[in-house]
Amino acid sequence: MNIKSKHTTVLDDSILWSELRAGDEKAFSVLFEKYYEHLVRYGNSFSNHSEKVQDCIQDVFADIWLYKHSLSDNCNVKAYLLSSVRKRIARLQERDHIFRKIASTNTIEFLFDFSIEHQLIIDESSADKVNKLNKLINLLPSRQKEALYLRYHQGLSVEQIAEMLDVNYQSANNLLHRALLNLRKDWSTNIPLLLLLSHSIL
Amino acid sequence: MQKRNKYTEIEDFLADDSFQSWVRTNADLENWEEWTLENPIRAKLVEEARLWILAMRVPENNLHPSIIQTALVATWNKIEKNETTTKKEIKLWNNNWLRSIAAVLVFGLLASWAYSHLFIPTNSNQIYNELVHDNDEGLVEQTNNSNKPQIITLSDGSSVLLQPKSKLSYPKIFIGNERRVYLSGEGFFEISKNPQKPFLVFANEIVTKVVGTSFRISAFSNEPNVEVLVRTGKVKVQSNEMVLTFNKKEEITLLPNEAIRFTRKNSTFDKITDITKDETLIHSVRSIEQLSFDFSDIPVSQIFKTIEQAYLVDVEFPKEKLKDCHLTTSLNDQPLPEKLKIICKALGNNTSYEMNGNQIIINSDGCNY
Repeated sequence: MNIKSKHTTVLDDSILWSELRAGDEKAFSVLFEKYYEHLVRYGNSFSNHSEKVQDCIQDVFADIWLYKHSLSDNCNVKAYLLSSVRKRIARLQERDHIFRKIASTNTIEFLFDFSIEHQLIIDESSADKVNKLNKLINLLPSRQKEALYLRYHQGLSVEQIAEMLDVNYQSANNLLHRALLNLRKDWSTNIPLLLLLSHSIL
Repeated sequence: MQKRNKYTEIEDFLADDSFQSWVRTNADLENWEEWTLENPIRAKLVEEARLWILAMRVPENNLHPSIIQTALVATWNKIEKNETTTKKEIKLWNNNWLRSIAAVLVFGLLASWAYSHLFIPTNSNQIYNELVHDNDEGLVEQTNNSNKPQIITLSDGSSVLLQPKSKLSYPKIFIGNERRVYLSGEGFFEISKNPQKPFLVFANEIVTKVVGTSFRISAFSNEPNVEVLVRTGKVKVQSNEMVLTFNKKEEITLLPNEAIRFTRKNSTFDKITDITKDETLIHSVRSIEQLSFDFSDIPVSQIFKTIEQAYLVDVEFPKEKLKDCHLTTSLNDQPLPEKLKIICKALGNNTSYEMNGNQIIINSDGCNY
């Protein structure tokens, strides 16, 4: 999660991006160091071959440098990187049967499981709620989980997510909305309790 | 922060960075707590959103900075490999396109021999002969009886600078899963990397094995000891089982600027973790270990001169044609043939080299940039 204000991040990135496009090696390295870890984490959600994932990410950066002159000027760097890594892994999985046997680009599976912020939970009843919610979230279809991850952890916009997952805006919105809606339905039995709880906390 | 007054869904909260950081870190820069308490309906939403955030943790995986740096270097290597003739400016990154051929490990090893020869006159030689005899790969033996170091190129692209009064036995072509050579005396080794085929130097009582990426070992003579010193990378040193029949199976890993001293008298190993504090080690540094092969916009003639000094060879090149050629490159940790290959490649396609013993001839029509 980016604690930094979103605005400055975007500003920094676009400056670095245009420096990179102009052939600045330093800007390239800064962006690499800034995003490599993020991308590894995201990439690892598709495969447990961490070495191949890192290889894909390095290829993405290598291509960025090699084709820097044809890069678009106006782009969200983070979204671009995440999306490129995803595509690259999908392509590799398609080609490489050892990597993971799967047929189409659209079906690479987001295998990531969300965990729980244990250290932020003080009382037992909210621990129960969070446990249950966490289980439900992890049971969501992988595309919904991925949409949640991209939206709330990577801070991508719905448009960007739609583009990444290769669906239209409405579908992306649905993916996100449905995820929350379904869960709240399953979870609704707990809402009255939750209300009580929230009052007791606040 | 008035937009939050319009929040009606937990989605709105989840997508709010400031809200997230309040939940996660308690950093309440925008008075979320106060704002929440203003309105009970709002409080209900806020609490639910809070639980969502708590249930959607993404653990940090904290890659070590060195891993990221390694990855960055690997990426530049990939770039270098793909960037072929289009690039005008010649700039070589560490271990660049060579990775495709064979990244290069460098190590030097000096096994002292002369002094101990006086104490145990036949022992070392016996071991060497025994070792060489046991090898059935059809070894070539080269003895340096001159008073100058000799350069030997091995079939895998590695090079050895053999000091006077020393000999090296090596197979014409390396076969099998290991590359084994036998040294008596002193030598400086630069080994081409091949993880599938470790490189082993049998130097009397000890065996030195190349295990890591780029590195260099050297050790020093005039001591009743065998010494190995690492410059970069990692090597493993083991006692030769043939000598230590009581076989402690000691294996010692050496990192850059670490050394090992094997004392023949009592067959013990001493690890030296700071070579700068060891008198004997600092005094026997050879020129090749002190010369830097990092060149930044340096005339090629100067680079050839450095090579002449390091390897004690003669380099002949068309001086007039190459007089305006400058290179920026790092040739540290490359065996001599690789160094020459890189320089030739950088100068242009019509440049090549020939090597006959200590004589190197560069053929070139000039640089093409």
